[in-house]
Amino acid sequence: MQAQCTNTLAGTILDEGGRPLPGATIWIQEIKAGKISTVTGSFLFDQLCAGDYTVEIKFLGYDTYRQVIGLSKSIQLTIQLIPSEEVLQEVIISDHQDVVGNANTFSQITTNELETMRGKSLGEALQAVAGVNSIQTGPSIFKPVIHGVHSQRILILNNGIRQEGQQWGAEHAPEIDPFIATKLVVVKDAAAIKYGTDAIGGVIVVTPPELPVDQKLGGELYLIGNTNGRAGITSGLLEGSFGKHKGWGWRAQGTAKLSGDSHAADYNLSNTGYRELNYSLSTGYHKENKGFEIFYSRFNTTIGILRGSATNSTEDLENAFEREPPQYTESFTYSISQPRQEVAHNLIKLNGHIRSNNDLFTLQYGFQLNNRSEFDVRRGNLKEVPALGYKLFTQTLDFDWKTTANSRHNRSRGINFMWQDNNKIDGTQTIPFIPNYTNYSGGMYWIEKFTTSRWNWDVGARYDYRYYNVAGFDFRNELYKSQLTFHNLSATAGVTYKLNQMSSLTSNVGSTWRPPNVAELYSLGTHQSAAAIEYGLLLDETTNEILDINQVDFKTEQALKWVTSYQLEANQWHLELSGYLNYIFNYIYLKPRGVTQNTRGVFPYFRYSQTDASFLGADLLLHYSLSKSWTVSSRGSLLWAADVTQDDYLIFIPSNRIELGLEYHVGKFGTWKDFYVEARINYVARQNRGPRVVSIQELIDAKEAGIDLIQQDPRNFDFLPPPEAYLLASFQTGISKPLGNSVLDIRLSIQNAFNESYREYTNRMRYYADDLGQNISLALKYSF
Amino acid sequence: MKNLIFLSIFTVSLFLVGCDDDPEPENIPELITKATLTFSPTGGAPVVVTATDPDGEGPQDLQIDGPINLTKGTVYTLTIELINGLYEPDEEEYDITEEVREEGDEHQLFFSWSDGSFSSPTGTGNIGSNGSVNYQDEDDNGLPIGLTTSWTTAGTSASGKSFRVVLKHQPDIKSATSTSNDGESDLDITFTLNIN
Repeated sequence: MQAQCTNTLAGTILDEGGRPLPGATIWIQEIKAGKISTVTGSFLFDQLCAGDYTVEIKFLGYDTYRQVIGLSKSIQLTIQLIPSEEVLQEVIISDHQDVVGNANTFSQITTNELETMRGKSLGEALQAVAGVNSIQTGPSIFKPVIHGVHSQRILILNNGIRQEGQQWGAEHAPEIDPFIATKLVVVKDAAAIKYGTDAIGGVIVVTPPELPVDQKLGGELYLIGNTNGRAGITSGLLEGSFGKHKGWGWRAQGTAKLSGDSHAADYNLSNTGYRELNYSLSTGYHKENKGFEIFYSRFNTTIGILRGSATNSTEDLENAFEREPPQYTESFTYSISQPRQEVAHNLIKLNGHIRSNNDLFTLQYGFQLNNRSEFDVRRGNLKEVPALGYKLFTQTLDFDWKTTANSRHNRSRGINFMWQDNNKIDGTQTIPFIPNYTNYSGGMYWIEKFTTSRWNWDVGARYDYRYYNVAGFDFRNELYKSQLTFHNLSATAGVTYKLNQMSSLTSNVGSTWRPPNVAELYSLGTHQSAAAIEYGLLLDETTNEILDINQVDFKTEQALKWVTSYQLEANQWHLELSGYLNYIFNYIYLKPRGVTQNTRGVFPYFRYSQTDASFLGADLLLHYSLSKSWTVSSRGSLLWAADVTQDDYLIFIPSNRIELGLEYHVGKFGTWKDFYVEARINYVARQNRGPRVVSIQELIDAKEAGIDLIQQDPRNFDFLPPPEAYLLASFQTGISKPLGNSVLDIRLSIQNAFNESYREYTNRMRYYADDLGQNISLALKYSF
Repeated sequence: MKNLIFLSIFTVSLFLVGCDDDPEPENIPELITKATLTFSPTGGAPVVVTATDPDGEGPQDLQIDGPINLTKGTVYTLTIELINGLYEPDEEEYDITEEVREEGDEHQLFFSWSDGSFSSPTGTGNIGSNGSVNYQDEDDNGLPIGLTTSWTTAGTSASGKSFRVVLKHQPDIKSATSTSNDGESDLDITFTLNIN
């Protein structure tokens, strides 16, 4: 009888556009075995006996395919999945990383969309999500902003682990290589309380594909070239299984980027090159009821900061504002000098899960080491010594226990621990900007989810505790020490109502809090190229001595966020429309407090202070198919942010913007396939809700006359008015060539096609120089 | 389950690694806490003024003494001394003047003053305008530094005039044509000037 058991069942899984769908799960009931489709969408079951097999194929956002197949000889199938009407929701829950609940507002960048953005940094790619912007420093530092809030108020989950880097600076971008991800999800409401306290603005989830369980060697290779910056980017991936050891899979991945100076429309942006070298290795074992995974990644970058933005005094800054092109503008080079950042981030993750009956237990340990050095323009033998350097060492331990009571009700509860140690790198020869600290945190949560035919409900609560042990240096360079504790509750409730087969309404309310970051409490010094002095909340107003937290009127930041969204998924339509209000009590921000004078001149100084802030806005995403080949799309966001207590505007709030696109797509083109051409225009309005403008000359003149303009009127201010509105056009085209079992994808794109000179309000480089000029990008991808 | 237990023990033990030693203080060699301007006439007592920063990056203003009281129609040599008060006088880092002199090819001092204060140099100086200054020192490339300068006061009395000195760091860009608008300010102080 055994002789008959040599049949194979092979196949290729395609998406609605006929493109290969990697990462889908294929389950055969009769033999209780599963596979995951490869990067080319293929799968293979071998040594099958003749007989009937029930094949079930599942993939996020697609209807489950179920078919009984009679097998009398080896066969090859091609299966095209149909997108599900309730985009994603159910499937993400069945995913082990159930960040997204039944009743959340979220947006995602799908695998296909991500392909068109390969080569961009994480923060830059995320801007493709409506409601997500970035605070930028030059061409390569993108700090994500969700609904107007950023830094400590956004949680980034890198492969399931809370990303812990030096996130307190506006010029600190997340240390993650987006090439590791096949999908980026942004949860826009405050409901993802499972992972900690900081998700006041939302959560960014960077998800790598599942490890292959049983397959031949597979892989992909990207080669990307950009004209702007004369940049070359390559990224490769290899994955496979360990032959006889069923259930074991592995993946190795790496990315290298090299870019020289970027170019504005009319001039070179000197010292804006960057280099990046990242890699990750993972291996794991997966069976239907248990799994184990080890993941290691390293991210390593050197980023140049525009040379002309390095200033030492307000007079320098004023000179820099007026100069165009900026000072020190030279011809193109790949070399990077001061000012620059060198950042390395290491992550080790160990993850195990066991399923027994209706319970799923997950234990996850994360180890992160983040090294950051910032080099300024300095005198003498300090030139090659960083002006700021920190080592941040973080360990996290998460335990989750999920029970599926029945098909309509499930429950998650768990505990999280974090231990963190931040140490300055010795020898910077500056008073440290933030102190050394140790942070012990713990939290626990309980989440219930209910599903009925038309309703989905989510309710959850969470308690957190944080302890800081701080040791830093005051303005006299004398040691101080303090201990602080914070604890509080978070709660969330959400509901989704299915209006009909095609549309649904989701509403979520969350009350979350976050402990203050050490930088907000103890900062001391001048920020790189900002010509402004910053003081923490716990520095005395007049003497700058370190205060005990009980001596100041400090309350933890607490947010109440309400998001309501409407989703429509009809034949020709895909529409996501959401509105939100985020009211943040005791919002911590840098408040201008006065003008001081030292030997280098006159400086405004800011103190971290608290106020109540509100963020009211709306996001739109729309795809409409005009015909089989033509699609129009639009994406837009509106935001009104205000300092409620002081009846004032906040600074660096993204302005309103809208994007329109038109795409022509042909599925088959001779022996080629998936040809597309796309044109987009992007309109970004001027930020008319920016704070008042106080010019440097006004500040200095008043100071000379003995008047402190800022003490007189402590409202927010900006040195320059917001830049004008701008309109950018971009074009993109691509095609795929199947080559046996492999595929070659070719893409050509032009950004800022007409080489417009423009400045973006939330790019800190706008004070000194124009934003990026035209860029032509050619990308090749080979997958097998 | 055994694996999970093992993993828990392993990870919890990792949590206990760590140390709580006090951090080492940094040397702060770049800070200028005090600038001293000494106007020495060919004969007689020098006129000395200082600007002292009580708290570095703190909110307290620079304390500038003076005014600079010069005698009319007199030739003075101005020497400038820069000090980092976080160090003791016998330490190398204490004297920033020496460092500026050694790196003369990337530093220059610029001066401006109220019109008519000096008969030599005339004009209002070279900050924001292209007046001349009588530099008495030069770097390896023969360009002026400005730690030593020469001044002849005007023949008429005047009071409440201003005298400003700016030290610019101009790595790789100092040239015969570079000005006070180039580079980064290491020092920028304005004194009151009286001529009697």
